[in-house]
Amino acid sequence: MSRVLLFGAGATGARIARQLRSSGAVDTLEIRDPNLERLARLVDDLGDGTVAGRGRRISDDPAAVVVATPPGTQLGLARRAVHEGVAVVTTSNQTSEVRRLLELDDEARFHGVPVVVGAGFMPGLSCVLARHGAREFDEVDEIHVAKVGTGGPACARQHHRALSSTGIDWRDGRWMRRAGGSGRELAWFPDPVGGRDCYRAALPDALLLVPEFDGIQRVTARQAATRRDRFTAPLPMLRPPHAEGGIGAIRVELRGRVGVERRVSVYGAIERPAVASGAVAAATTMHVLAGDFEIGARGLAGHADTVGLLNTLAARGVKPVRFEGISTFV
Amino acid sequence: MGGGLITLIRRAFVAIGAGIAVAAAIRVRGHGGIPPQTGGWRELRGDDLR
Repeated sequence: MSRVLLFGAGATGARIARQLRSSGAVDTLEIRDPNLERLARLVDDLGDGTVAGRGRRISDDPAAVVVATPPGTQLGLARRAVHEGVAVVTTSNQTSEVRRLLELDDEARFHGVPVVVGAGFMPGLSCVLARHGAREFDEVDEIHVAKVGTGGPACARQHHRALSSTGIDWRDGRWMRRAGGSGRELAWFPDPVGGRDCYRAALPDALLLVPEFDGIQRVTARQAATRRDRFTAPLPMLRPPHAEGGIGAIRVELRGRVGVERRVSVYGAIERPAVASGAVAAATTMHVLAGDFEIGARGLAGHADTVGLLNTLAARGVKPVRFEGISTFV
Repeated sequence: MGGGLITLIRRAFVAIGAGIAVAAAIRVRGHGGIPPQTGGWRELRGDDLR
C-alpha cells in the first residue's frame, strides 16, 4: 500500500483517481487541481483515502506522481518529481512536450526513477499494442497508428491544434516533417466506429515508438477528422469543446517479416478516450508501484511486460481487439 | 501580338484539357482500399495474453 499524488481532476484525471482508488494498490491518493470546486466534488465522491492538495510542490514523499493536467503543463511537474526521486506517469499527447519528457531520461537515470511518457489511449495503449504485436514478428518494418475521438476539453483543444500543426513521421531511417491535415487515408477501426478518413497531425507517437524498435523503417500517426474539422483547423475553436467526447477508437498496424513471409497484424481498441486513458494511466501506475518499470524516460512501447499490463487493463474494463481476416483489394 | 495571344490561349486550353483527361483516367481506373471482406475484430484472450 502506498501514497500517490495525482495532478489534474479533469475528465482523464477523475478516471485515473477512480481506477486507482478501486485498485486497492493505493493507500492514500492526494489530488491537486486549480479548479477547487471540481477538486472538492471529486474528493467527496471518492471518500476515505482521498485528500485534496494545493500547489505544485511534490510533498510528503509519494511513491508515484501521476500527471493528468492539460498537454503543455506536464513537463515542469514531471521534472520536479524526478528531482525529488519520485516515479512519474505522464499522459501528455503534445509532440513538443513528449520530446522534452523523453529528454528527462538522463535525469531520471541519475535519480533512479522511471518516467513513463504518454500513458493514455494514443499514445499509451497504442504503444502497448505495438510492443505486444511485435512479439510475433522476427522483424517489424512499419508501424502505423491512428485514432478517433477525444477525451475532455483539454484533449479536444489539443486535437484541434494538432490538425493544423506539423506532424512528424519516421521514414527510411530519418525524421520527416509533414503538414497537418495532409495524407488522407481510410483507416478501419473496431466496430461500431468502422472506416474513418484519417490525416497527419502533430501526434507524438513516432517519437515514442521509433526508439523502441531497432531497424524500423516507417512509423506514421494519423487522426480521424471530418471536412469541418479540416476546414476549421487553422481557426480558433469556434465553440467551447464538450465536457467529454463520445466513443473513440485506436488502430495499430504492424508490418514486418516472420521467417520468409511478409505479414501484417492489426490491433485496436474502442472506448471513450478519457475512460481508456484513465485506465491505462492507472494500470501503469499500479505496475510502477510494483517496481515493474525500468528506470529512465520512455513510452509504454519500452515496457517489456505487455501481457501483465494488458491483463491489468482487461481487469479494469479495457479489452483490446485484433483483426483476423484478409483484406481483399479489387 | 494577336497571334501570340491566340497561341497562349490555345496552349492553356490544351494544358487544361490534358489535365482533365489525366484526372478522368485516374478517377475511372484508380481504386482505393475497400472494407475488409472476410474476418473481423476479436478480443485479445487466451494465448494472446500469455
